[in-house]
Amino acid sequence: MTKRPRFGLYALVILSVVISFLPIIWLVLTSLKTTEGIYAWPPQYLPDPFTLKNYINIFTNSPELLLYVLNSFIVALGCTVVALSFGGMAGYALSRLGMRRAGVLMVFILAVSMFPPVSLLPSLFQTFLNLGLLNTYTGLIIAHTGLFLPFTVWMLASYFATLPPEIEEAARMDGMGFFRIFWSIVIPLSWPGFVATGLIVFIFSWNEFPLALVLMTQNAMRTAPVGISLYPGEYAFPWETISTATVIAIVPILIITAIFQKQIVGGLTAGAGK
Amino acid sequence: MTNMTSPLDRRRHLTGMAFITPTMAVIIAILVYPILQSIVLSFGQSSIDGSEPYSFVGLKHYATLAGNERFWNSLWVTLVFTGLSIPLELAMGIGLAVLLNEHFRFKGIARLAVLFPWALPTALNTLMWRWMYNTDYGLFNAAALQSGIVDRPINWLGDETLAMGSMVVVAVWKTSSFMALIILAGLQSIPRELYEAGRMDGMTRWQEFREITLPLLKGPILVALIVRSMDALRTFELPFNLTDGGPVTATESLSLYAYKVIFDFIEFNYGAAIVVVQFLVIFAMSLLYILTLRNKD
Amino acid sequence: MTEVKLDRIGKSYGSVEAVQQFDLTIREGEFLVLLGPSGCGKSTTLRMIAGLESITKGDLMIGGTRMNDVDPKDRGVAMVFQNYALYPHKTVFDNMAMALKLQKVPAAEIQDRVGRTAELLGLTDYLHRKPAALSGGQRQRVAIGRAIVRTPDVFLFDEPLSNLDAKLRVKMRMELQELHDRLGATSVYVTHDQVEAMTLADRIVIMNGGVVAQVGTPREVYDRPADEFVAGFIGSPAMNFLDLMRDDTGRWITECGSLVLPSLPVDAGARRQVRLGVRPEHIAVTAGGQPQGDLDYQAEVLLDELLGADALLSLGVGKARLLARVGGTDHPVQGDRVAIALTAAQLHVFDADTGVALRD
Ligand SMILES: Nc1ncnc2c1ncn2[C@@H]1O[C@H](COP(=O)(O)OP(=O)(O)OP(=O)(O)O)[C@@H](O)[C@H]1O
Ligand SMILES: [Mg+2]
Repeated sequence: MTKRPRFGLYALVILSVVISFLPIIWLVLTSLKTTEGIYAWPPQYLPDPFTLKNYINIFTNSPELLLYVLNSFIVALGCTVVALSFGGMAGYALSRLGMRRAGVLMVFILAVSMFPPVSLLPSLFQTFLNLGLLNTYTGLIIAHTGLFLPFTVWMLASYFATLPPEIEEAARMDGMGFFRIFWSIVIPLSWPGFVATGLIVFIFSWNEFPLALVLMTQNAMRTAPVGISLYPGEYAFPWETISTATVIAIVPILIITAIFQKQIVGGLTAGAGK
Repeated sequence: MTNMTSPLDRRRHLTGMAFITPTMAVIIAILVYPILQSIVLSFGQSSIDGSEPYSFVGLKHYATLAGNERFWNSLWVTLVFTGLSIPLELAMGIGLAVLLNEHFRFKGIARLAVLFPWALPTALNTLMWRWMYNTDYGLFNAAALQSGIVDRPINWLGDETLAMGSMVVVAVWKTSSFMALIILAGLQSIPRELYEAGRMDGMTRWQEFREITLPLLKGPILVALIVRSMDALRTFELPFNLTDGGPVTATESLSLYAYKVIFDFIEFNYGAAIVVVQFLVIFAMSLLYILTLRNKD
Repeated sequence: MTEVKLDRIGKSYGSVEAVQQFDLTIREGEFLVLLGPSGCGKSTTLRMIAGLESITKGDLMIGGTRMNDVDPKDRGVAMVFQNYALYPHKTVFDNMAMALKLQKVPAAEIQDRVGRTAELLGLTDYLHRKPAALSGGQRQRVAIGRAIVRTPDVFLFDEPLSNLDAKLRVKMRMELQELHDRLGATSVYVTHDQVEAMTLADRIVIMNGGVVAQVGTPREVYDRPADEFVAGFIGSPAMNFLDLMRDDTGRWITECGSLVLPSLPVDAGARRQVRLGVRPEHIAVTAGGQPQGDLDYQAEVLLDELLGADALLSLGVGKARLLARVGGTDHPVQGDRVAIALTAAQLHVFDADTGVALRD
């Protein structure tokens, strides 16, 4: 390998990192400023004085902002669990149980995954209204599951396809039924696939906006992205509260992404490689 | 045919059907049925809560649509937004991917930094940018005024032309990372020997990029492009949170317009006609996607 | 111990006929080897016996019961896979015990049976390891042990040794032979390695393109191949084939005229054309000698390759080419002129069109 100038490389890397982080950094700095600091001229780049007042305020005066985060958590977790269970079984059927026209079904699933969510809204809203599913966790969990199942099925089906089929055949010879094989052989052997898929689905559901906006109309049921976006009502935007709530809402995602970076990237690139 | 299959195969098939049923049920209930119902709604007149019975009105809503300037504007805004952001994302994505493919220290952190914008909710990303764009207290104007580049605050989101540009910047910031990751995976799957052979042939680094890297990245790039185009064509929370479609309707995407028609103006059936048109546009794109994938095999 | 009867069994995948009209009775305690080139349907046949693949035509009888529609676990068969197919997340003990657990065998008995099998295979020290911590040979032993603990009526092996290196393969082959002598269970063994087939088999089934080409003992398929395909497949290096025409005087001549046979060792009937087969090891080569008998010819060594104990000579007899296998010491070398001698009893004659062997 020939030595090339490294300076330019590092400059570009640092620039990219700074640009990526800039909005987040600015947001965190804002959340640590006093209200006067936020609206001061000349502008404050670093908080002066530094304060945790905004965080304390949220916990004492605006518990609904914490409720949004809790709602997001419940919905994303529920959606992930259901999507992995259903999608795992479907992926197994499509990759291993000799389904007729499995290829056609896979293409069908891929095609429906491209439906724009807003196209679903008139009908979903009406149906959920009639079924009493508006403003329920169940309702939004089902809706998100539907939205992200196609991705789950594709990811898991292609993961299963990489397992050597002989292990499952040996299990057949040993006397296991299909369900037992799936449960006690396939799932334990596929957990990296389940982890990567589950993380991405969790992030998808946490971040989903249009359905969460329309299907949760009561303030107390809103998810974090929707609740924070609608928080101030129609008039002036209380940026000190908004920035603080946003920091609280993105911290879980930041942590998950940081810890499971490898799995998420692996899952994303595998998903797009199909 | 069915009575000829062996019970062994039949048991397998039945298990397969049982395994796939929950997924199919959810997909049909949440994705397929609503689309079909939206089509039905778009040809009729009814009320959301069912108090007014459905009556067939034929192409009435589509006729309204065709003559509605605001609809054409939203279609145009959506196409302009897609047409501007996708090439920029691609250029940034390729640049980032080539960068991340180099060897340097703290690569993990750099990769993570690139992943964050993708992982965070678009709605909240948009709020962060809106705060930075803020005319009076935002970071950009603060820096621009203080450094003396301008002497009056720039109206990033309130100016008709500038608003679209500001929106594209947020989209590019958020999704270049996705492009970069897909392209990076493609880069890493190119065998080293090809570059070694190129060096034997006396290629310069630029020629290597042109003659080896780009042609072999065609597949991943195409996939990333189409996935992203479909995302851009249905963009919703970005204009919703950044500008609410404004100033006036300068950044009102198709999704946002449909949403407003349905839930703000409560024109349920007319809104259904809009989403059906949007669905057709995106479905055409998804067909293209599937055909591309077919050709890849 | 059980007889396995395949009554005109066939398997088709849509329009692809993977196996056709497989008709054979495998005797109690017999070690049967399925041999053939890649894609000829060996695995498919084995998997139909196992119940992993449904049977589209014909009947499968094991111990007198029709098994076509019976679940694999209820057929009394056990299978050893090429890539071992061990459960990677379970210990050796659990791998071997799985079938017994599923049959609800009492724990004490499982302990005992697995223990004894592990001892038989020298696996006692590894019972608590996971498969990843074993060598290839040990893994294959676990796979065999998993089959043995079940005391099945029939053992099925699908190329069990082909993932092992050459040395280990020979060792495991001998172990398998010993094991079969000891257990005496009916076994069906798929391979495309001739040496494995010849050494292990009571009978060999040679398959080609989904059909059985010949069934016989190793001796029979080597000495009396049923057709040109079997003749060419068995033996290494492969048999030489020459096209012969009958001339007006009744002699048989190669096209170039350099090889002449006064008569064939078998009755060719009214045929004017046949194919002659000569195994490389059946050509006697004498350096510098002169042809004397009817089946002696003058030849030139075009190429010589030393293999070790043996050497291979490419011989030119006029325009005809023959490969001969000779002793590896002081063998003729390239450019030498030699005399070669054929033996009538060791010649094979095949119909020129159908490839079927001609016999008296
Ligand atoms: N699921 C399937 N669908 C269609 N054709 C198949 C299927 N499985 C096997 N075949 C075909 O059946 C034929 C026999 O396959 P089989 O696996 O039995 O060959 P084999 O003799 O075991 O070969 P090898 O030595 O390579 O293992 C092959 O031509 C194969 O292509
Ligand atoms: Mg095989």
